Formats: sequence, structure tokens, C-alpha cells
Amino acid sequence: MFSKYKKFISGSDDSSLESDNKAGIFQPSLQSAVIGAGVTIEGQVISHEDMVIAGEVRGAVIAKNHHIHIATSGIVKADITAKIISVEGTVTGNVTGLERVIITATSNVQGNIECPRVTLEDGAKFKGSIEMNPGEPTQSILPIFPVTSVKKRSSSAGSDQIGAKAS
Amino acid sequence: MPQPPIQPKTTSLQQAPKLLPSALLAELLERIDTDKRLVVLDMGHAMASTVRFFGEYRCQLNFIDLYAEQFILTPDPELTHSQRVAAMREALNLAPSAKIDICLFWDIFNYLDDAHTKALIEVLEPHISTATGALVINPRDSRHYLPFYRYGIADQDNFMQVESTGTQPTIFARSQRDLNNLVDYFAIDRGRLISEGRAEYLLFENRNIDKTDRSMI
Repeated sequence: MFSKYKKFISGSDDSSLESDNKAGIFQPSLQSAVIGAGVTIEGQVISHEDMVIAGEVRGAVIAKNHHIHIATSGIVKADITAKIISVEGTVTGNVTGLERVIITATSNVQGNIECPRVTLEDGAKFKGSIEMNPGEPTQSILPIFPVTSVKKRSSSAGSDQIGAKAS
Repeated sequence: MPQPPIQPKTTSLQQAPKLLPSALLAELLERIDTDKRLVVLDMGHAMASTVRFFGEYRCQLNFIDLYAEQFILTPDPELTHSQRVAAMREALNLAPSAKIDICLFWDIFNYLDDAHTKALIEVLEPHISTATGALVINPRDSRHYLPFYRYGIADQDNFMQVESTGTQPTIFARSQRDLNNLVDYFAIDRGRLISEGRAEYLLFENRNIDKTDRSMI
């Protein structure tokens, strides 16, 4: 099944894809969309299916009922909202997972994460905050802010919000 | 009398994480109201075990990774105090109204000279309340070598430590008394000896304590 993606995802060799399978991180269906390694998108990406991002996205990524996977070659400078978010590549922006967020060892993430269940692997480069509320799914979706306003947002947030550099 | 900086060492192979027994983490958690939403500030690197541990709590866990900042890797002695404070404020990036419940300093003070330590303490002050607790790892005294580790939390009785790779930054070793004086509005409440010539300290905000020659271990 993954052979379908290999030609699109530069930098994702067989071993990284196998490790995905072992960890159960991402098992895309045939309907999964792929933003390939040579593609750059600026703007809002709204997906109604699982999606692999191996290219670059600037703006916002929304897939409320689906899984967004940032491959090792993927660069996302955007806020991401999805049911499940797994990151192997680079993300600068706020990450809101409605069910689960997985930050793998190869990833580099700067921003704030909000999700009931967050898994971070040793080796991941992460700077920012993780908002955890075990046993309670994320009820509301954070408003989508442009990446450039992430820092401003964190400094004007609630009484005990601690911001993180995401720009 | 300030101690001269200790020559750093270089390591290249990263070891597997190891447990480091802690007597004071459980005490810190007992003295903090863990029923409310916690705000935790971790000065170190994001560690998987720390995320797992605080995943059991309703909390906001903040990883600062101060160890990667330029003022530790290549400190500039020419900076003024206001420039150091500005650099520290940018590194911490705290919202003005943020209040911290738990501050995990780990061994960060050993990599900051007195001027940067004062800057850190100054920047943190608005975010510290009487309920704030903190943990510090330090050499038992200024003569002891400081191992080059990253730290996390495994469970309430154990830290997690993993050997860092690369070159250890310059170390500014201090006695317990000197550290206690530098941390200003914090006071060392308790100290316990841990392995490899180190001690762990439990700190709470206490502006009224007499710090003269008070030894905890």
C-alpha cells in the first residue's frame, strides 16, 4: 500500500515507513491524499480524508475527522487541526489533535500542542507547550491563527497560558 | 569567591535513558494541588517520559530547552544586564499573566554564570507564586564534577537521565549556599544526595527566609 506514496515522499525510505506500521502511527487508506515532496501550498488546506504531507504547507491545515501525517520531508508552517496528527517532519505552528498527537523521534516541532493524548518520542526536537486533559476529548477547536500571529496569540491568551515561539 | 569555570567534556554516543531515584519529587507533588490544572515549566529538552508522566494530570507542560540557547552555548560577556534579561525573556516566551506551579530547573544553573542566573530569576519572578515548587540538580559542592545529562521524570520516585551528546557547555559550579543566595525569592527547602556526586534540591518561593549559612544536606 505504501508503495503508492514512496514515489511522492522523498526522504521517506522503506525503514521509516515500516516503523510507521509497527507503531501504528499511520496506515493511510487508498483514499488518502498526498501532498508530495515537490509541492508547496500557501493557504488553507481542508481535508475530508486522511492526508500525508511530504511537501510544504504554509497557512492552515484542517481535517477534523481524519488523520494528518507529516512525513520526514514535510514542512508545515501552519496551525494544524485534525482528529489524529502524527509528525515525522518539521512543524512550526499550533497543533490541535481531537484524539491523538504523536511526535516522533525525527520531528522538529515548535508551537503549542493541545490534545487529550500526546505521545512524544525521545529524540524529537520540541519547543512549546503541551496542553493535556486525560480522559476528555478536545471539545472545542482552537481558532486558526496565521503562523505569524502564533506568538502574539500566546501572549494574549488565558491567565495561565504560556506561549511558545512558533514563528 | 566565585569558582573558575570547569573545563567541559565532549561525548558522542548517546546512552539509553536510566532511572535516577528521587526522594523529593514525590514530596513536591504532595505539596502542590494536583487536582487543579497544573502549569509545568521544564527548562530542559522534551523527554518522552516527562510527557507520559504529566499525561496523567490535567496540565500544561512547557518545554523551554534553555540548554540550546546562545547565551549558554556561546556566552557573550559584553552583554549588559538589560540585554541578558531581554534574551532570557525571549527564550522563556512566557505570557505576562502565566503562573507556574512546578518549575523543573534540572541542572540549568550550572550552565549559567551569575549574571545570567540573576536574569533568569528576574524574568521568572512575575510568574512565581507562594504555591510554586521547583526542583534543582546540582553537584554536592563546587568541587564535584557535573555529569552531562538530560533529565526527565519517569515516575514520582524516579527521574530519567540520559547522557547528552556533543560538547558540554562551560560549567559554573556553586556551593549550595551560593546557589541559595542567587535564586533570590526561591529558597532551598530540602536537599538530598543523589548519585555521581550530585544533590537534588526542592525549592519554594520564600522571600522571608534567613539564608545565612543554611545547609540542607
